[in-house]
Amino acid sequence: MKLYQLVVKDIMRRKRRVLYASLGVVIGITTIIAVLTIALAGQTNIYDQLEKYGANLMVMPAISDIDIGLGGLSLGTLAVGENYISEDKLPGIRQIADGMIREALNIEDEGDIVTIAPKLYVNTRVNGTSLIVVGVDPREERLLKTWWKVSQGNYLEAPDEVLVGAVAAELLKLNVGDAIILNGGEATIAGILEETGSNEDYQIFVPLETAQKAFGKEGLVSSIDIRALCNACPTSDIASAINENMAGVRAVAVTQIAETEMGMLEKVSRFLFALAAITLAVGCFGVVNTMTTSVHERIKDIGILKAVGASRNQIMKIFFYEAIIIGVAGGLLGYVAGTLLAYIVGPLIFGGVAVTYAPQYFLPSLALAALIAVIASVYPASRASRIKVADSFRSL
Amino acid sequence: MLEVKNVSKIYGEGTAKVVALNNISLLVNEGDFIAIMGPSGSGKSTLLNIIGGLDHISSGEVILDGQRIDSLDENALVDVRRGKIAYVFQQYHLIPSLTALENVLLPLTFCGANNGSQKALDILKRVGLGKRAEHKPSQLSGGEQQRVAIARALVNDPSLILADEPTGNMDRKTGREILALFGQLNGEGRSIVMVTHDPEIAGHAKEVVVLQDGQIVDKISQKGGNKC
Repeated sequence: MKLYQLVVKDIMRRKRRVLYASLGVVIGITTIIAVLTIALAGQTNIYDQLEKYGANLMVMPAISDIDIGLGGLSLGTLAVGENYISEDKLPGIRQIADGMIREALNIEDEGDIVTIAPKLYVNTRVNGTSLIVVGVDPREERLLKTWWKVSQGNYLEAPDEVLVGAVAAELLKLNVGDAIILNGGEATIAGILEETGSNEDYQIFVPLETAQKAFGKEGLVSSIDIRALCNACPTSDIASAINENMAGVRAVAVTQIAETEMGMLEKVSRFLFALAAITLAVGCFGVVNTMTTSVHERIKDIGILKAVGASRNQIMKIFFYEAIIIGVAGGLLGYVAGTLLAYIVGPLIFGGVAVTYAPQYFLPSLALAALIAVIASVYPASRASRIKVADSFRSL
Repeated sequence: MLEVKNVSKIYGEGTAKVVALNNISLLVNEGDFIAIMGPSGSGKSTLLNIIGGLDHISSGEVILDGQRIDSLDENALVDVRRGKIAYVFQQYHLIPSLTALENVLLPLTFCGANNGSQKALDILKRVGLGKRAEHKPSQLSGGEQQRVAIARALVNDPSLILADEPTGNMDRKTGREILALFGQLNGEGRSIVMVTHDPEIAGHAKEVVVLQDGQIVDKISQKGGNKC
């Protein structure tokens, strides 16, 4: 018989008492797991949105808003600046982006590194319905939108072809091979995109040059998306360099947008995590209390064990094993309860975002719970180990 | 084998001071069967606890096989409890969650011996409980529980068995059976020191030491010890 078997057998006799002892740990772990799972769902949601966007950098026309007022009365804002970016700026932007990545990652290859996808957005009417036509560079756009799938027909191959978003095709009853009129010019539907769940479902994509000619915007684009496929790419630095060196454009690293959102999420998570830690600390005192009571109740048993040869270390081990069992049981219950709580509360916080089960927190939560229980049992175990056999029998 | 020299045990201080043992000397040789008798509060159990290193003394010496055990630290006393001395208590003091076999295995578990099941079973058979090995204490009679306690005491093969009122919770017939078992163990050369307040029980020992108010007031040698 091993020492832990002795503990397990003893615990089986006192199941309710052990469950009660683990209650503090259960509440603490429940709170921590709920906070972590909800925070993870929020983070995943933000990352998913970023991943859907595809680009690391956005370049837009530099437009400033000026407040217009009359005396103390505000009359709103006025946008000042160009609404388009000249296509001439594309090589300069590529030079800055590729150059900085080459420098940062010590790349010697002279070929293109980043994907630069210019876009021209035009609000127009197609078959009597108002929608957005997007002029794109077909090759670059395909590299950027890795998640695009053509459900019917083909991708853009010829200048007079268009690609239609899933919802737009359904609303306008468009099929592959149909002809549509874009501001007087005719184009053929080459393919229909699979639904993506984003604005793209409502848009029509045409080759950039075709859009520019059809809508009289030759040499102009509305925005430029840049995708650098590396985690270490200095996107914020590239954005700063573009802003410094290129007039009339404003570059923003997508991570900067994400960081703002993440920052908020992190602040809220940290606050909740602190609350959860306090709950766990209180739970820890609960374990100390229950274990100390348990020592008092088991003075006789401890005396017997010592009388038949148990050493102080072995008595302490018995209590530590018991604490580990209490901790693991508490961690297990806490993990399940925390996940359930996250499932209920998560969608309320993130507006319907589905919270997913976080298996990566399972073992750490058990380990944390066991550690807390062991720490909480140091004092009671030490007290138990100091009990004198003769005293324990006198107390009967 | 064991010598208690001028041992005193005092509880409390000042007006609350209680002298449990007053300058006691006792010699336990190999093969002795000593009964310590006396009225309640005379210091019998205190003396037994001191002999076994379960309690500290206020003055004097306790020497086991040439080694003073009264000044040993807790860890060294554990070694004494694991090897040379074993206890049998009036209340049996079995662990209720363990079977009879597991209770007997306990001392071996604490010694780190993991393969003692057969030895424990053999000892249980010897005390007549081979078929009750898997029973828990609550499923055993008082006499059977005391036999399990004796088996537990024997599993480490001690040379000295200390028994505190071992038949105190039993009817006379069962008590006699337990005393017969002690007689057998004594016959094998093991020393036994047994506390009792019952003269008839004490009659089974080879020597009776009478305690009163913490002092030895009489020592009686009995040639007819171990009578069954």
